[in-house]
Amino acid sequence: MIDFDQIDKLIHEKGRLSIMTLLSTRGEWAFQDLKSELGMSDGNLISHLRTLGTAGYIKETRDDSGTRPRTSYELTTTGRKAFKDYVEVLGEIVKAATQT
Amino acid sequence: MSTTQVALENLRIIRSLMEKAHIYRAVSAPAALAGGLLALVASALPVSHALANSGEAMMSETAFVLQWLVILVLTSGLNILLLAKEAARRNQPFVSQGMRMALRAFAPPMLVGGCVGIGLVLCLHNLTLAALMWILCYGLALLGTASFSPRSLIRLGWAFVTVGLFLFFAWAINRDVDMLPSDLAPASLAMGVTFGLLHIIYALAVMFSSKPVEVPSE
Repeated sequence: MIDFDQIDKLIHEKGRLSIMTLLSTRGEWAFQDLKSELGMSDGNLISHLRTLGTAGYIKETRDDSGTRPRTSYELTTTGRKAFKDYVEVLGEIVKAATQT
Repeated sequence: MSTTQVALENLRIIRSLMEKAHIYRAVSAPAALAGGLLALVASALPVSHALANSGEAMMSETAFVLQWLVILVLTSGLNILLLAKEAARRNQPFVSQGMRMALRAFAPPMLVGGCVGIGLVLCLHNLTLAALMWILCYGLALLGTASFSPRSLIRLGWAFVTVGLFLFFAWAINRDVDMLPSDLAPASLAMGVTFGLLHIIYALAVMFSSKPVEVPSE
């Protein structure tokens, strides 16, 4: 029996789920790359990134060495585990539904 | 929407974003391990022979080039085989968008490094500089794929460039190498340290690192 409370509500929201998915695919994503891949507005993306950062799921790195500052994001160990657990719970829900 | 429908929808989002993310690993870890071991053996023999015989070369310059070309062909063949197997497992075409991007980024530095390196050996008889050229160009080729490669491959690229530059300056400053009857040993040492050791370290790091999240099928 699946305990639906196991679902991480923070990741369950589609915008944050998309961000977590992209960050799980490779090490670092620049803010602009995330924005163009997800088609989100600056405000929306910043708000989701802030929420994920406060939860300790992602880490922000700022590079001011170039002509334009570059902010990039990556998953923390906690974030990677949370995402993996989230995907597993989704898998279990689907599995349970197909068995009944 | 029921919980199951939401779960299915979210799994679909995850799967499609992962496919869109264009992540492509151009070098498979087992191929890197095999290539690394081959390179280590191929470089250890000339080095140990030179140490035991006052720097004498154990093979001709042409044999040196041929030996590394054979290792390149063998390792590339194995790499292609493993990448094709992985693509089949994921139900993706072998010549994917990712592979095309990787080839476009990879080919120019490899072509330049390969041709100049062979020219340095056969025309200018400078094996060490040729080896350094191959090391640096391979590193640059890997770094050319940085925008869509996993971080481990980018680190491998930086390792090749850093070690290559270090070896270049070590070689350029230390002119004692000119006194050796042949520069087969320093060239082989450089090849062994980079194409041998660095590939083995990369392969082990990838094999023992955390695997990417597997998305369950619907």
